[in-house]
Amino acid sequence: LIVSFFQQQTTNTVEEPLDLIRLSLDERIYVKMRNDRELRGRLHAYDQHLNMILGDVEETVTTIEIDEETYEEIYKSTKRNIPMLFVRGDGVVLVAPPLRVG
Amino acid sequence: MSLRKQTPSDFLKQIIGRPVVVKLNSGVDYRGVLACLDGYMNIALEQTEEYVNGQLKNKYGDAFIRGNNGNSSSSSYCSP
Repeated sequence: LIVSFFQQQTTNTVEEPLDLIRLSLDERIYVKMRNDRELRGRLHAYDQHLNMILGDVEETVTTIEIDEETYEEIYKSTKRNIPMLFVRGDGVVLVAPPLRVG
Repeated sequence: MSLRKQTPSDFLKQIIGRPVVVKLNSGVDYRGVLACLDGYMNIALEQTEEYVNGQLKNKYGDAFIRGNNGNSSSSSYCSP
């Protein structure tokens, strides 16, 4: 009779924030970019600059128009789909798991 | 909290786990619990809320914020 113990490794040492991005590899993520852009796609690769390769991406560009008469803010968003995308890291603001409806 | 003769890594260990406010250049606020932080000021937050004027989005789990967005992070609560 062989009994083996499968111990799950947990670490108590402080990991780098980039280690936490590694956990999202091959998962869908949400990326907030400069210039009011957002990306939702599958993370295939990343590096320390936050350059990323995203697959099956939906890009949302949001603009705010101000109605000259009523002064109300009109939010408009434009979406496009991109099968495979290289994202240059210097435009990245935030990376997170995909948003749930909040 | 003494600030004398503290290496940066000691400081980082002290603030990890605390609720923080991270303000970006763009004027957006992120409030959450500081999960970790590195030398480039890349930040990982838990239970993050994003504030632009009013509350816009809720992010659950880890939110990673890129270091050189010219942001500041401050501890927003004094723990008793």
